[in-house]
Amino acid sequence: MQNSESEYRLEMSGISKSFGVVSVLENVNLKIKHGEIHALLGENGAGKSTLMKILSGVHQKDTGKVLLNGEEINPKNTHDGQELGINVVYQELSLVNDLSVAENIYLHKLGANKFWMNWKKITHDAQELINSLGFDIDASAIVRDLSIVQKQVVEIAKAISEDTKILVLDEPTTVFDPTDTQKLFDNLFKLKERGISIIYISHHLEEIFKIADTVTVLKDGVDTGSLPVSETDTDGVIRLMIGRELKDLYPIRDVVVGNTPIFEVKNLTAKDTLVYDVSFSVKPGEVLGVAGLGGSGRTETAKLIFGAHKKKSGSIFLNGEEIKTKSPVDAVGHEIGLVSENRKEEGVFLPLSIRKNISVTNFDPISTKLGFIKTDKEHSNVLGLMKKLNIKAPDSEVDVKNLSGGNQQKVALAKWLSIDSKVIIIDEPTRGVDVGAKVEIYSLINEVAKKGVAVIVISSDMPEIMGIADRILVMHEGTIYGELPKEKFSEENILRYSIGEPLK
Amino acid sequence: MALTLKQQFSSPGGILKFLIKHNTIFIFLLLVIFSAFISDVFFTSVNLSNLLKQVSGIGIISIGMLIVILTGGIDLSVGSMVALLAVTFAILINIVVLPVAIVLTILIGFGLGSVAGYLVAYQKMAPFIATLALMTVARGLGFIYSKGSPITFKTPGGEFMSNFANNSTLGVPNIAIVFFIIVIIAMVMLKYNVFGRLIIAIGSNEEASRLSGIKVSKYKFLVYAISGSLAAIAAIIVASRTNLGSPNMGMAWELDAIAAVVIGGASLNGGKGSAINTLMGVLILGLIGNILNLLNVPSYPQQVVKGGIIIFAVLLQRFEKK
Repeated sequence: MQNSESEYRLEMSGISKSFGVVSVLENVNLKIKHGEIHALLGENGAGKSTLMKILSGVHQKDTGKVLLNGEEINPKNTHDGQELGINVVYQELSLVNDLSVAENIYLHKLGANKFWMNWKKITHDAQELINSLGFDIDASAIVRDLSIVQKQVVEIAKAISEDTKILVLDEPTTVFDPTDTQKLFDNLFKLKERGISIIYISHHLEEIFKIADTVTVLKDGVDTGSLPVSETDTDGVIRLMIGRELKDLYPIRDVVVGNTPIFEVKNLTAKDTLVYDVSFSVKPGEVLGVAGLGGSGRTETAKLIFGAHKKKSGSIFLNGEEIKTKSPVDAVGHEIGLVSENRKEEGVFLPLSIRKNISVTNFDPISTKLGFIKTDKEHSNVLGLMKKLNIKAPDSEVDVKNLSGGNQQKVALAKWLSIDSKVIIIDEPTRGVDVGAKVEIYSLINEVAKKGVAVIVISSDMPEIMGIADRILVMHEGTIYGELPKEKFSEENILRYSIGEPLK
Repeated sequence: MALTLKQQFSSPGGILKFLIKHNTIFIFLLLVIFSAFISDVFFTSVNLSNLLKQVSGIGIISIGMLIVILTGGIDLSVGSMVALLAVTFAILINIVVLPVAIVLTILIGFGLGSVAGYLVAYQKMAPFIATLALMTVARGLGFIYSKGSPITFKTPGGEFMSNFANNSTLGVPNIAIVFFIIVIIAMVMLKYNVFGRLIIAIGSNEEASRLSGIKVSKYKFLVYAISGSLAAIAAIIVASRTNLGSPNMGMAWELDAIAAVVIGGASLNGGKGSAINTLMGVLILGLIGNILNLLNVPSYPQQVVKGGIIIFAVLLQRFEKK
């Protein structure tokens, strides 16, 4: 029911949400007027996506209230959300590749009340919708055959229907060129005129200033307030996005960094990912940070070096000698380790014990020539590493699935420490890890670097990367956009390079 | 793990936990006790040795199935392989000396398994599809080479094998001894050897294995090759028992082997299962058949009971997880 009394289309107040022990949102407020374009900003992991997922019904809030047109709503799933007129265009495309454009656009409305489908009408309607958006896509084409840009358009078309009240766009323009972006903006203005409220999430600040009326900044799951775009500028927004207290989390870096690089990457270009022409070097004892926004190619670069992705060109040098890493087997053979950002899927073996997890990278010192494992040696090796990394578990036989995130991460690290790696790449070292374990992981990274290991840390957490790295490379759209020496470390500088802007 | 039996029993609900954890052995013992009460002939040495002889062939291919399933795969070709390899062995034993016939049969088994391994590991074919195709191919080849009828052993070597397969040592059937040795080797390899450790790792998380520098393809290839070799050993045993190789042998054995592995608590997603529990699974399946035979239950109801037991065993394992 429309309540003309309420000034706001949407009021989210006091929203909190935690996943297990990790608190993602704390007491967040968001108010959006009718026919307003509202920009939602924040670093990676600030909680923007989670907030939108609560709005659309993917996640359920722990506390707080959501009012739509002055009436409290509690969507239990995305279907509820859509019924209420809340439509979201996610960053990850959610189209069904094997269906046609038209089928995709009307997918969520299929089977609602009719038994038979009128394909002719559906295709016709979809074509009209796409044409009205000003794009040229055949509604009967199979989605698999579309370009990524066209897919994004279909995704947007899918979210727009006559009963849409709130439209959420999460980084919609990452794949668009300027003309497509302009077309999208024109459409958003049209929707705005129809009274639809739009929540626009983007890292591109210049876009915000072109289209948004109001901006809200989220930081570490807390909103730092909203203000009209007319009252601020890029610097003002960046100030809102950073400026948090730096806790005493990070170890003192007292390592003597060597002179000749131990590890070097030259003009590395990927075959199947966006990574191109990446060059850098790491000196012994140095912790090299790699920053950048999600999707800028950081993880892909790590996997490329490690041989998990295919290379097109470029070379890798270890101790001055060129090495080939065609597969992870080669990389491990050269004593390069990778701690994946995706701990549960790629990092650890959840159903296996701590002992079996840690031993898996290197059986040579603990087994005979015929491959029989010397259990005594294995135990003492594993228990030693558990003690060194302070892995909290009753014994080495506990299954890793029963450990906390922090302890799981330590197990993933221990795997590479057991082979005395020369190079360790750590992707998001503390994602989903509590503060206590964070401090331990930081000092561990420090210790490993002290031993002369080249450590490369990829992180979206800016205070973290500034706290532990000696030098930071910032990636933007698949390559290294800039390098920051320690004296130039600041969140603003990282952010500027991340969005492809020069330093001030 | 570190808890002793006594501690396990004294903890609250300890006995129940213990029984659930070792449910396969528990079901097995229950069945044995039940069988002993219900039939006078069950505990006779003739019956027990018959039982062991019956399960040995399927038991051996079940061990191969186990290691394939541990990697998260499946091998549907083993039943047909038994037929093809039994025919192969019968042909070979009539033209070459016995040791050569045995070695060649096992090598051919390894080679056939390698085809499945190659398709799965290096061509990334779904294990179900690759081995389904090989199942048909192997059965067909079995009929082609035997011209559709059984091939009997005609040489002294054949006579020796037939004696070996039908006799016992210290009261235990020789072929059961072969089966038990294979179980023990599998047990040791899975528990104390790098090979076993790595195939379990691959089954529990293939991507993490790859990113840990494990040669995933090589091990996936090997498990199918080993499964093929074990099918060859099973083929030699069943052919020797009947003194002939027939293309009709091993019909639907792959399904019994899968059932035995699953009753033994292995997960079809890979990463979980043990040789001793698979042995229990094989014995449970064999026991059900045996006791129903002793009770003169016709073979059709037997199949219904078998299916019921599989469902019961898997439900019990779900309970174990909670």
